[in-house]
Amino acid sequence: MADDLRLRELMREYQSGRFEAFDEIYASIAPPLRRYLLSQARDGAKADDLAQETFLQMHRARHTYDSSYPLMPWAMAIARHVWLMDRRTLSRRPWAPDDVTAMALPVKGEAESFAERAEVRRALGQVNPARRQAVIQHHLLGFSFKEIAERAGIAETAAKLRSSRGMAQLRALLKGQGGK
Amino acid sequence: MTTAPAELRARLAADYRPVRALPSPWARALWILPFALVALVAAPVAFTVRPGAASLGWIGVWGFSIAQTLLGVLVVGAALRESIPGRDWSRTAIGLWIALPLLAVVALTLYSWETSPVTLLRGFWMVGGLCFAGSAATALPVVALASILAARAYPTRPAVAGAMLGLGAGLMADAGWRIFCHFSEPAHVLSAHLAAVIMSTIIGAIAVRAYRKNTLSMNQ
Repeated sequence: MADDLRLRELMREYQSGRFEAFDEIYASIAPPLRRYLLSQARDGAKADDLAQETFLQMHRARHTYDSSYPLMPWAMAIARHVWLMDRRTLSRRPWAPDDVTAMALPVKGEAESFAERAEVRRALGQVNPARRQAVIQHHLLGFSFKEIAERAGIAETAAKLRSSRGMAQLRALLKGQGGK
Repeated sequence: MTTAPAELRARLAADYRPVRALPSPWARALWILPFALVALVAAPVAFTVRPGAASLGWIGVWGFSIAQTLLGVLVVGAALRESIPGRDWSRTAIGLWIALPLLAVVALTLYSWETSPVTLLRGFWMVGGLCFAGSAATALPVVALASILAARAYPTRPAVAGAMLGLGAGLMADAGWRIFCHFSEPAHVLSAHLAAVIMSTIIGAIAVRAYRKNTLSMNQ
């Protein structure tokens, strides 16, 4: 890691228009930032995402850095903020899969009768998002319709409708794939 | 050597431009000074100076109000420092930054009452309401300006920074209103004037939090 004075100089250059200074700043502080984020998140992929977000936020807040102070406490404070914001966002957001095709789905029940789980995942990815969420939450994760309705802020009957229509769409998609 | 991911580098390069580093928080707090001076003289100039001014003396009326205004500017400076990542205050320091100015207002109230006791005989709630509303309204422009200053930095605890600068603005506004207010009775001063300072503190916390949230959502 470059020494503190060098980092201050690099950050001053980055503020004043030398974009290339970013590479050296990144090389110097990305490892300790990632270590810190890993110690908080305990997940390598998550730590990488948070580190990237930290650099993005550092970029947006670069005008707040005062080069008469060390760079690391400033960067660490932003990393900590990014981590806390992420944790807060997750705690407030109802559970929803980002990418169903990448999920290790505990496929059971009706879906088990299909030979290829990959096909189910692919088909599920094509189902209307609101219906897909209802299908996953009810048939795969075991939530009741009442719980699903509460999470989505809809009526229980609407949750049932979404799930049944989602299943119908999924069946049709799988039938179509099977027929090919 | 660790290299930056190409995607990240491209995102940064897309909106990269040179920026000027913010001046120190204390220097930025001085931008508030003209507003603080207006808040200090607005009420006594628009209305009148309190009738007990003679017994309080110049120091007791203007001297302490000027000191309270400067204390307000200092608290705003502390709030702006809180808005810089890595320069945030410890919990103890925040507690002191909030508690000490409030205690100073209470001490000044008791001093004024001891030196020049003027009781509010009628219309406790009406006069209190006027002092509360006037003081809070005088603080609003300063809260608005200071909120923008704080939110344009990068407050990692916007509610804390906002509360501190709301407190600073409230102190400045109250410094002017205490020169004008005819009554030194602690029940009136604490329930109207100090309450306005606390209200300004709450408004500051809400304003900076909302402004910051809005800025963040626009960036996403």
